Amino acid sequence: MTPQARTEEAAGQHGDGAAMLGENHLTGEQFGELMAGTTEAAGGELALAEAHLLVCEQCAAELASLREAICFYREASIAYADEELRQRPRWILPARSSSPRSLVPAYWVAAAAMLLTALFPLQVMRRHSVAPAAASVSSVAASDAGRDAQSDEALLEDVNSEISASVPTSMQALADPSDDASTASIATSDTTSNQRKD
Amino acid sequence: MSRRRAIRAGGSRAAPAGAAQQMGAAGTLMGHEGVRMFPSTSLSLGAEARSTPLDDLENVVALYQPRVFRFLLATLRDRDAAETLTQETFLRAWSARARFREDCSLATWLIRIALNLARDHTRTRRFRFWKRVSASAVDAAEVAAFVPTHDRSVEAHLIAQQQVAGILETVAGLSNRQRSIFLLRFMEEMEIPEIAAVIGLPLGTVKSHLYRALAVVRAQHDMHGATSRNQPPRNATMRNATTKEMQ
Repeated sequence: MTPQARTEEAAGQHGDGAAMLGENHLTGEQFGELMAGTTEAAGGELALAEAHLLVCEQCAAELASLREAICFYREASIAYADEELRQRPRWILPARSSSPRSLVPAYWVAAAAMLLTALFPLQVMRRHSVAPAAASVSSVAASDAGRDAQSDEALLEDVNSEISASVPTSMQALADPSDDASTASIATSDTTSNQRKD
Repeated sequence: MSRRRAIRAGGSRAAPAGAAQQMGAAGTLMGHEGVRMFPSTSLSLGAEARSTPLDDLENVVALYQPRVFRFLLATLRDRDAAETLTQETFLRAWSARARFREDCSLATWLIRIALNLARDHTRTRRFRFWKRVSASAVDAAEVAAFVPTHDRSVEAHLIAQQQVAGILETVAGLSNRQRSIFLLRFMEEMEIPEIAAVIGLPLGTVKSHLYRALAVVRAQHDMHGATSRNQPPRNATMRNATTKEMQ
């Protein structure tokens, strides 16, 4: 289909199309729709505007000129921004932003460090509190040992005195036979005489 | 030395104080030789285990930093502020990555964050003050010099540069909303529904703002074209009246 045929068809679809094609120009909204390229307006309005462009060189030239100018504006803005960005210092980013899952070892290390930090003072305190107790225990042990030593010495003295004695205590009665023998003989004779009388 | 200057590598340009505040709020770190650093991932241990596209921050920045910076630069027309807010955009996105539900594209999400930051930034009186005096403000002629030649004649190239400078000035004079929508459509080439998602407005309202912005740009373009051709612009008077009425 030729452009002229399309124009005529579009003009035929809209009652006032002929008037618009001939005399009027694009409205601001039609111009905006053509410029913005809003696909929602692809119905009658846009078709009519496009049809008008085919017959109105003035509107077509104006639209083309504005499109070109905005295209220049876009290209210049992008080139300028890129150049400006290139001159700026680069950001330092984490080489590879790790997911929280990969931070689990870090959690464990931190937890272990905190545990050690918490336990170390406790250990030191415990060491300080154990030292006096140990001292008291050792003093008690020392006194016990001293007592044992004394008793041992006394025992040894007793043993020594026992050994050093000429007659043991149990044999003391036999130590002086003169006194004891006479007494014993008398007692023995008395006992024998009494038995004979009986 | 201001904080902002400490952040910048060279410190050759004046620094907007508002930008310094933004940077302080961002809590970003500074590497040696003025190279910017993002906080280590260990700072965000509280994030959920669900993986998001932002987990690979290096790739995300490489892909979208130019786009976000470009949009902010065109919106704010201030190089330092644009860079600061670009960094802030990625920091915000990184911090809120667990809330990214992927119901829109990452680019849309980032642009939405950038737009909100720019909106907050331009509301401050400090920004308006710095905009007047800042040496990092973008000059229209400077941008227009970047118009590609495309094997055009010198005269045609100069005309193109003038047209671009004219559009830059006109866009700067638009209302914040019209400017944002215009930039998103014609610089970022976003579709209308996408723009509506970014701006948070109904489709009809977005279109209405876009047509008004286009009417202003068209009027300026016609007037500039008429001046360069030494002929009165067609319907220029009527269109200017319409534009004023719209605004």
